[in-house]
Amino acid sequence: MHGEGVFSGDLGNVIRWATGAGIAIALFAGILLIRVAFHRRGWKILPAAKWILLVALFVLPSITMLLGNVVGFHNTKQSCTQCHTMDPWVADMKNPDSITLAAKHFQRRWINEDQCYTCHTGYGLAGNIQAKIGGLSHVTHYYFTGVPEELKIKRPFPPETCLHCHGDTQRYQKIDQHVDAEMKPKILSGELSCFECHAAPHPRKKKQP
Amino acid sequence: MSDERPPGILPRHGPGFSRSRLSKLVTASCVLALLGLVVTMIHFIWPTPLMFALFMIVGQGSFAVAMVLYLVVIVADLRRRRVL
Repeated sequence: MHGEGVFSGDLGNVIRWATGAGIAIALFAGILLIRVAFHRRGWKILPAAKWILLVALFVLPSITMLLGNVVGFHNTKQSCTQCHTMDPWVADMKNPDSITLAAKHFQRRWINEDQCYTCHTGYGLAGNIQAKIGGLSHVTHYYFTGVPEELKIKRPFPPETCLHCHGDTQRYQKIDQHVDAEMKPKILSGELSCFECHAAPHPRKKKQP
Repeated sequence: MSDERPPGILPRHGPGFSRSRLSKLVTASCVLALLGLVVTMIHFIWPTPLMFALFMIVGQGSFAVAMVLYLVVIVADLRRRRVL
């Protein structure tokens, strides 16, 4: 059952609890740190202060930082559409007349939620970490170092992302080219992109006059 | 004059950092950790992409520096006690 409570199975609830716990632990650590920082000078290097510092400076802030990462990285999954840089891609995705793969996947809910994140993330833990570091780099570019004039995907879109859902379907296996002895290895290795034959995932860039 | 002191009593001017310097380092470490915690709390309350970037760079950065300073204090203290 999805409801209030950390054990409801709803990830949103877990994130809310993590946020609450993070704030409470940060407040407690902050109070301890203020007490130590403004205590008389000699006291700070006594054994009692060291024990307090072990908790206030290491244990509690470490937990807070960990929770901050969990909450922050969870929220980045929904943050793709928040930057105006992505407006053309988002507009296409929501355009009912669009025939791009991203628009079809989004509008027909072939991917139920976090659509950008699902397709632009490798599967497994390494994929998640890589995508989140990439997301952080995008945010840094947006706010601090500037967005490049020409946006392009960092590395070729891996075929495993498409094949993860489509690879084992009967519809996919029925297409001769997908199972052809010559073409199959090329598809699997990424030498032959899915988008060579299928519609573009996003609108093609307009050529500069 | 004997250099021996009762256990737990630090010499005023032994090898490495003086007591007042160690104390200042502890204060600096606490202030940096506090800065990190404040940024983290703001990020918890307003989870925007900008706050996330600040949390990752300023918040965790100042926390890491605070940790390094505290480690320096621990090592210096152990050296004063001739454990290291």
